[in-house]
Amino acid sequence: MNFHVNPRLLFGTALLGFIVLTLMIAVIPATRIQKTPPTPGLQPLSAEAARGRDIYVSEGCSYCHTQQVRPLPEDEPFGRPSAPGDYVYQTPELLGTERTGPDLSNIGNRQPSQVWHLMHLCSPRAVVKDSVMPSYWWYFREKDQADPNDVVVPVPAAFAPKDKVVVATPEALDLVAYLLALKQPPLKVMPQAEEAGQAGTSAH
Amino acid sequence: MGSPPIGKISVKEIIGEDPALVRLIYQYLAWAAFWLVFATALGLLLSLKLTNPDLLSTKFAAFGRLRPIHTNALFWGWTSLAMVALCLFVVPRTSRAQLHSLKVARVALWLWNLAVAAGSVALAMGINNGNQEYREYVWPIEIIFVTGLLLHLYNFYRTVERREIQEIYISNWYIVAAFIWTAVLVTVAYLPWYQHGLAQTNIQGYYMHQGVGMWFTPVALGLTYYLLPKFLNRPIYSYSLGVLAFWTQLVFYTLIGAHHFIFSAIPWWIQTTAIVFSVGMMVPVWAGTSNFLLTMRGKWGTIGRSYSIPFILVGAVAYGVASTQGTVESFRTTNIYWHFTNFTIGHSHFTMYGFIAFLVWGGIYGLLPRLTGREPSILAVGVHFWFAAIGLLIYVSAVSIGGTIQGSDWVRLRPFIASVVDMAPYWLWRSVGGTLMFLSHLVFAYNLYRMRPRFLAEGTLRVEEG
Repeated sequence: MNFHVNPRLLFGTALLGFIVLTLMIAVIPATRIQKTPPTPGLQPLSAEAARGRDIYVSEGCSYCHTQQVRPLPEDEPFGRPSAPGDYVYQTPELLGTERTGPDLSNIGNRQPSQVWHLMHLCSPRAVVKDSVMPSYWWYFREKDQADPNDVVVPVPAAFAPKDKVVVATPEALDLVAYLLALKQPPLKVMPQAEEAGQAGTSAH
Repeated sequence: MGSPPIGKISVKEIIGEDPALVRLIYQYLAWAAFWLVFATALGLLLSLKLTNPDLLSTKFAAFGRLRPIHTNALFWGWTSLAMVALCLFVVPRTSRAQLHSLKVARVALWLWNLAVAAGSVALAMGINNGNQEYREYVWPIEIIFVTGLLLHLYNFYRTVERREIQEIYISNWYIVAAFIWTAVLVTVAYLPWYQHGLAQTNIQGYYMHQGVGMWFTPVALGLTYYLLPKFLNRPIYSYSLGVLAFWTQLVFYTLIGAHHFIFSAIPWWIQTTAIVFSVGMMVPVWAGTSNFLLTMRGKWGTIGRSYSIPFILVGAVAYGVASTQGTVESFRTTNIYWHFTNFTIGHSHFTMYGFIAFLVWGGIYGLLPRLTGREPSILAVGVHFWFAAIGLLIYVSAVSIGGTIQGSDWVRLRPFIASVVDMAPYWLWRSVGGTLMFLSHLVFAYNLYRMRPRFLAEGTLRVEEG
């Protein structure tokens, strides 16, 4: 038994120790967390919203927007504290670690307007003057005239192209469908939580 | 090259190393420098986008796509390649054996370059493994990376096994173990079966912490346990302190990943365990830091005249201070103010740059001239050092102060946008610091060029006469 001269013993112990600790703190708890039932009232995403979620992931939205409301007064504008069951339909997880922008766990309740979200994605500073969010203009098209099926985005004149209309692509509509689907179902044990979630609508 | 200015230590010793190995080490460093310049150019662009959101507003250069390219290229491109370059010298040297296989190391270099290149392109195209920090590369690309990792592990393990001395030197404890731990870590991170919904967050906390704490930290420490005594020409202050730090590193670091998700919905006991062991982490951290500082004790004159040891001094101090900062950040109380803010970004740069990158630079400047017989310009090394150090100081100060203001805005329940508006001047200062850091990397790349090996046709090293 001498770690100093026996590489198999030394590195075998380091390997085994790491595996045991990994199982204890990461893998075994994860298999248990995975069994959490969905929060009552939580809806699986529609096909449209699921496509929108893929866009959200590929654009890296959660580097700036968390999806976790903490049980802290400062988080009350964003909704009720997140519960483990809220994440059942969420893989990959999008909890995030930074809030350059606001938390979006409950954005579908806090800002339920499709038009607002389309304008915001196309031209963030047209709706929130001091926003530092990128414009996702590549999910919109400029047209001379809108077709009957087009969803026209009423971008304010100062931000809009001259003599053109801005219409949303299917991707933009999917992304907004996802944002609108982000609704925390109220927890029955905490009846005041729903009010807190609603009160946050004006957080902008 | 002429003799160096009086007062600086010239390289008296040229290590008679296999030219093929020297050339390979240099290739690793050249690629590392390439990824450093590439990824920090993106970092600078990202910082400017926060003050000018419409800057370079295109699909492939959107903030959310560039950010993971920046972080991953610095982790797996620059830092990992540069660390391995030094390992390629340190592991055989401390084992008094030849490197097991040059060929294996050469293949691994190209696998890692391929992984970082493919990963960067994929991320720009919006193909990622979820927005999960440092495991954004999708699994087919990660397999390329892991293959390289396993080749290195095999290569270094076999080298240590063939050692011509009885004991396994402490550097190799850290270095070989880091490759083992990271292989396990990446495997656990990419297997899908226990990663649905919130369960994935639990794995994410474990992974993002261990990716730093069980990879960069032990390799950088292992290198320093050899390079610092070597450059100072005196033994490490306490060998057993290094052994203590090794085992406590394994036990304490592994359990603290969840401190990145304090107050989230993951089980409270995991969060509490993470906080408790984040305090425990102070044992290996200060055992390591004090060991290095005590090794330097009384040699301050030498440090002043060296161009490599000041980098190591900054790295050792940053290891202690930034890790202590990390412990303080893990508490619930401090999370109320600092979690989700730019303060965290300051911490990650303080550690990955102040601690890891500075140690790596110290190793390169100390070692490479001994291998190639060519020294960089003292002035240019000084410019690199001071631009990097002052740049980092400005950067970390700006985002730490700004992050604290951001957090207190939230605690005072001001409208969210106030925290964005308040950050603006600090983001600008961050770009100022970042510019200095980026410039220092250009100087570093130039210095690396000046230290390039020159070989005669038959492959022997030509030592220039001073």
